[in-house]
Amino acid sequence: MTADNWSFVFAAYGLAVVVIVTYWRFLVRRERELSEGDTLRRHGSGMPEPQAEQRSP
Amino acid sequence: MKRLLGAVTVVGLVVGLVMAFGIAPREATQGNVQRIMYLHVPSVWVAYLAFAVVLVASIAYLARRSEGADRLAHASAEVGVLFTGLTIATGSIWGKPTWGTWWTWDARLTTVSILFVMYLGYLLLRGMIDDRERGARFAAVLGIVAAFNIPLVHFSVYWWRTLHQPPSLMKPGPSTMPGVIVAALLVNFAAFTLLYVYFVTRRARVLRLEAEAEA
Amino acid sequence: MVVWKDLLVERRSKETLNAVFFFGLLLLFLFQFALGPDRERLAGTLPGLLWLGFILSGLLGLGRTFVAERENDCWEGLLLTPGDKSAIYVGKLAGNLLLMLVVETILLVLFGFFFNLELAAVLPALAVVIALGTVAFAAVGTLFAAMTAHVRARELLFPVLLLPVEAPVLLATVKATEAVLLGEPLGSVAHWLKLLAAADVVYVAVGVLTFDFVLEG
Repeated sequence: MTADNWSFVFAAYGLAVVVIVTYWRFLVRRERELSEGDTLRRHGSGMPEPQAEQRSP
Repeated sequence: MKRLLGAVTVVGLVVGLVMAFGIAPREATQGNVQRIMYLHVPSVWVAYLAFAVVLVASIAYLARRSEGADRLAHASAEVGVLFTGLTIATGSIWGKPTWGTWWTWDARLTTVSILFVMYLGYLLLRGMIDDRERGARFAAVLGIVAAFNIPLVHFSVYWWRTLHQPPSLMKPGPSTMPGVIVAALLVNFAAFTLLYVYFVTRRARVLRLEAEAEA
Repeated sequence: MVVWKDLLVERRSKETLNAVFFFGLLLLFLFQFALGPDRERLAGTLPGLLWLGFILSGLLGLGRTFVAERENDCWEGLLLTPGDKSAIYVGKLAGNLLLMLVVETILLVLFGFFFNLELAAVLPALAVVIALGTVAFAAVGTLFAAMTAHVRARELLFPVLLLPVEAPVLLATVKATEAVLLGEPLGSVAHWLKLLAAADVVYVAVGVLTFDFVLEG
C-alpha cells in the first residue's frame, strides 16, 4: 500500500492558497490606493500626492 | 459585476476543493498524493490559456494600438507567470514522494519551466522600458515570438524526453481515468479558469488606473 | 539597399569577428579546464559543449548588432529609411548569419583539433545542422537586439530574453549534432531537422513582419 504523504498534499494546496490570496490582496490593495488617489485629486485636495504612486508592481 | 465574478470564483474554488478532497476517491496507484493533480493540471491549463490571450492581445495591440489590448496582454502575462510558477511548484511537490526527487527533467516540468522563464523575461522587458508606448510595442512583439515558440518547445522537449528513453512511470494526464476523477478535474479546470478571468480583469483595471494616474 | 546594409555590416564586423572568435577560443579553454582532461568523459558532452560555445559566442556578437547605430546617433537614420524597414532586418540578419557562421567554422576546426575529432566524413551533415541552428539563433537574436538596443541594462536583458526562446533550438541542434558525430545518417534525426527548419521559418517570418513595429519611434 503506497504511503499517503498527506504532508505533501497539504504543502501543495497550502502554497497555492498563499500565492492566490497574496496576489488577490495585492490587487485589492493597489486598486484601493489608486482609486483613493483618484478621488483625492478629483476633489481638488491640497494634500500632497498619496503614497499610491511611489511603488510600481 | 466584479463582486459577482469574485463570488462565483470563490464558489467555484470551494466546490473544486470539495471535489478534490471529499468526492474524488483515493487513487489506486499513487495514493492520496495524486490529489495534487487537481491543483497542478488546472494550473497548467490556465497558464496556456493566459499565454494564448497574450498572443491575441499582442496582435490586437499592434494592429489597433488599443491601450486596452496592451493592458490585457500585460495582465494576462502576469497571471500566466503566476500560474506557471504554481504549476512548477506543485509539480515538484508531487514529484518528491512520487519519483523520489524534487526535480526531474520530465516533459511537462521542462516545458513549463521554459515557458516560465520566457514570460518572466516578458515582464522584465516591460519593467525595464520607461516609455509606455515603446514598452507596449516591444512587449507585443515578444508576446508573439514567445507564443509561436510554445509548440516548438513542446515538441522539442517531448522528443528530448521520450525518444531513446523509457517513458515516465506515472503520467499525470487524463487517459483512462475513472469518471469521478475526470469530473473533479473538470470542476477544478472551470474554477481555475474563473480565477484567471477574475485576476486578469482586476489586474487590467489596476493597470488602467495606474495609466490614468500618470496622465 | 539590403546589400549596402550588408556590406556596411561586414566592414564593421571585422572587429566584432575578432573579439567573438577570441571569446570562443577562451571558452574552449574554459571547457577543458572545467571538465578535466579525461577524454572519455568529454567525448559524451562534445555536442553540448560545441553548441554552448556557438551560443555564448553568438550572444556576444548578436548583442552588438545595433550598437553602432545607437552610439553614433544613427538611430534616426534607420527610422527615416524609406520603404519597408524589414529590409533592414534582413540585411542585419544576413550580416549576423555570416558572422556567426564564420566564428562557428573556426570554432569547429579548433574543436576538432583539441578533441581529435574525425570531422571530414561528417562535415556535410554537420554543416546542415549548424546552418539550420544558426539561422534560428540569428533570426531571433537580430530582432531582440533591436529591441534591447534602447533598454537599460541591455547586456543583461538581451541574453535573458534570447536564451529561453532558443531552448528548443538548442535541444534540437545538440541532439542532431550528437547523431551526426556518431556517424549516423541525417535521416535518423529528420524530426529534429524538421523542427529546426520550422523554427527557422517561424522566426524569420515573425522577424520580418514585426521589425517595423520595433523600429518605430
